[in-house]
Amino acid sequence: MHPRDPRSSQFRPGLGGVVLHGAAPLLGIVALALVMDLLVAPLLPEAWYAKVLADIGINIVLAVSLNMVNGFTGQFSIGHAGFMAIGGYTAAAVVYYGSIALWGDAGFHGGYFSYCGLGHFNGPWFGGGDLLFVAACLIGGLVAAVVGVFVGLPSIRLRGDYLAIVTLGFGEIVRILIQQTPGVLPPESAATVPAPGRYLHLGGALGFTNHPFYTTIFWIWLAVGATVLVAWRLRNSTYGRAFLSIREDEIAAAAMGVPILLYKVMAFTFAAFFAGIAGGLFAHQLGSTLNPADLGFAKSFDILIMIVLGGLGSISGAILAAAGLTILPELLRNPPHVWPLLVPVVPIALALLLYRRRRLARGWGILAGGIVLLEIARDLAVAHGVQLSDYRMVFYALSLILVMILRPEGLLGTRELWELWPRKRKGGAGVRASS
Amino acid sequence: MVSPLFELRHVSLAFGGLKAVDRVDLALPAGGLHGLIGPNGAGKTTVFNLITGIYRPDEGDLRLAGRRLNGLSPHRIAHAGIARTFQNIRIFAQLTVLDNVRVGCHVRARHTMAQAILRTAGHIAGERLIQADARALLDTFGLADHAQELAGSLPHGQQRRLEIARALATHPTLLLLDEPAAGMNPTEKAALKALIRRIRDHYQLAILLIEHDMSLVMDLCEQITVLDYGQVIARGTPPEVQNNPKVIEAYLGEPIPGASANPRAEGATRGNTKNAGTAGTAETRPEDHPGPEGGQG
Ligand SMILES: Nc1ncnc2c1ncn2[C@@H]1O[C@H](COP(=O)(O)OP(=O)(O)OP(=O)(O)O)[C@@H](O)[C@H]1O
Ligand SMILES: [Mg+2]
Repeated sequence: MHPRDPRSSQFRPGLGGVVLHGAAPLLGIVALALVMDLLVAPLLPEAWYAKVLADIGINIVLAVSLNMVNGFTGQFSIGHAGFMAIGGYTAAAVVYYGSIALWGDAGFHGGYFSYCGLGHFNGPWFGGGDLLFVAACLIGGLVAAVVGVFVGLPSIRLRGDYLAIVTLGFGEIVRILIQQTPGVLPPESAATVPAPGRYLHLGGALGFTNHPFYTTIFWIWLAVGATVLVAWRLRNSTYGRAFLSIREDEIAAAAMGVPILLYKVMAFTFAAFFAGIAGGLFAHQLGSTLNPADLGFAKSFDILIMIVLGGLGSISGAILAAAGLTILPELLRNPPHVWPLLVPVVPIALALLLYRRRRLARGWGILAGGIVLLEIARDLAVAHGVQLSDYRMVFYALSLILVMILRPEGLLGTRELWELWPRKRKGGAGVRASS
Repeated sequence: MVSPLFELRHVSLAFGGLKAVDRVDLALPAGGLHGLIGPNGAGKTTVFNLITGIYRPDEGDLRLAGRRLNGLSPHRIAHAGIARTFQNIRIFAQLTVLDNVRVGCHVRARHTMAQAILRTAGHIAGERLIQADARALLDTFGLADHAQELAGSLPHGQQRRLEIARALATHPTLLLLDEPAAGMNPTEKAALKALIRRIRDHYQLAILLIEHDMSLVMDLCEQITVLDYGQVIARGTPPEVQNNPKVIEAYLGEPIPGASANPRAEGATRGNTKNAGTAGTAETRPEDHPGPEGGQG
């Protein structure tokens, strides 16, 4: 119907523009992964912190990807862990049985960037196992994406609560199916089972064990960078705006020519792909016994909470909430002093007051008060020998409730972190005119 | 007569026992400005919903430039060149004003999703094109200063104008306006009148206009079709329609022998249930909220 616009050649960027917009961020992703792996991780005082850094990364991938469905297109999926499980088990099977086929054993065949052990590693930077691992994660993502198409299809007919029930059921079906699979074949006997069936020996309820570990900070944060970049680029393109328009008003979106059914299913497919990759990374963490019980609806809800808390549709909100909610339970194990947080918070509150940003200043003031209260509570508990870590899930739940009461639209709403500093706008943002 | 750009032939739709649209015929030449009027509940909005594929007609044909549109889904009809606004404003409230219009440009995007993710030259050129078109439209509609505001924070009159701008961004050949003046004050209405004329002349499209404000319709439209209880009860030029006794009867609810009053004086409302000028803005009508089965055929 619409012919190519003659102006499009005049709008074409030069090589510099393409490199700057298209290629440079790819290098940025690699740089992020390298920095995390080579600079940040070694600085962490204990190996345990590195595990938290890894979990943060995986949770960011999960939250940002789920946000494509729930935040961008406004559907309500609560079965994200199902995709994670599909990707994770696919990747684990490919790595384990692939290793046996290639090298005759299920040991570690990677290089420096995949080495998860604690001791010093003297081997090559990259090994054949890395290739197998990366391919396995991508295959896991693709299988999850294909399943995502089929889970997304009901969204054509169902919306709201009904779709949520379908996705919840999907997640549980995946978990139960995996629990029915037979035990993992030991390397000696793997060859005795013919190929397609062999890959279904996934360990059942006992979990997938004895597979090699490849997931390092490097791979995780490479995936974080890639996921965030794709989500960001998608949203800031005509397709992303079309996704958002579905969230805003399906009927109007369709009347503007947005193929809403196709895009809804596409959102599911994208989200499933990245969740599958997160599953692959999760499966190959040091010491992982991949167990279906860990990938049930509790995990799905964890991810859902992250994006609701961060603000549906906000990419930076999903990142922040994923990081915060991963750290929080860990912090509560052994609550540290919180008063050092006052060092940045109080000056910010004062500065805001000085610049007459009253509303914002009040928020920061409440934050400072909360920190003081927390510090008092902590010191009292320590003085009386109360084990706060016993109550950490209570505190976790309480802080969630608090945020949802104070900011029902999530920390950032649909906006991004850097948009929070209010520009001078006429009328309150987000106030719907009566219509 | 030259063959029309757009045609409804004998189109009907019933909701259960209620014949909301009953064998309606309607023809529009390219560049025509056509009014669709009638009392509340006459079936005007339902005609729009039929044209834009939200409902499928029980019988009859819809044709745009000779092409049959029956059974196409709403987004395909937008691709075919029909754009609309809604009686109850349906802007994308949480998107910026600029992004609302850019969504309208989406139908014409030539770059693919893969290009968007890889940020290729084709993507950058495509986005610049969209940006330029959207900005130009915002300029035309006097919304350029509000480009970065959330659409939901605009005042009512500007939201109505934004809806028209968004519809035009699809580059339609036929534009359907459902009570664009509803809820506007007289100054805004005068500006809207000028704007609709300008749109028609500048973009060379046909406009089908539903409006309860009779002075607006009579001044703007070349041809008017009058609906009552889903049926066409009159059609013709504004003076012909104005003096048609059937029309006067429909608007007043009872026959006035020999009268040739101007219907505008009666507030264009059957049974005086609500004020014509704000009809439909204060309430949520079922026709604007089709259920899942109605929304997507
Ligand atoms: N989805 C629906 N289900 C059942 N009845 C409907 C539906 N949509 C519209 N109707 C009915 O069809 C009739 C025509 O409605 P329509 O909205 O087309 O009238 P209208 O001419 O646009 O009126 P108004 O001037 O008040 O906007 C009304 O009686 C209405 O109640
Ligand atoms: Mg109507």
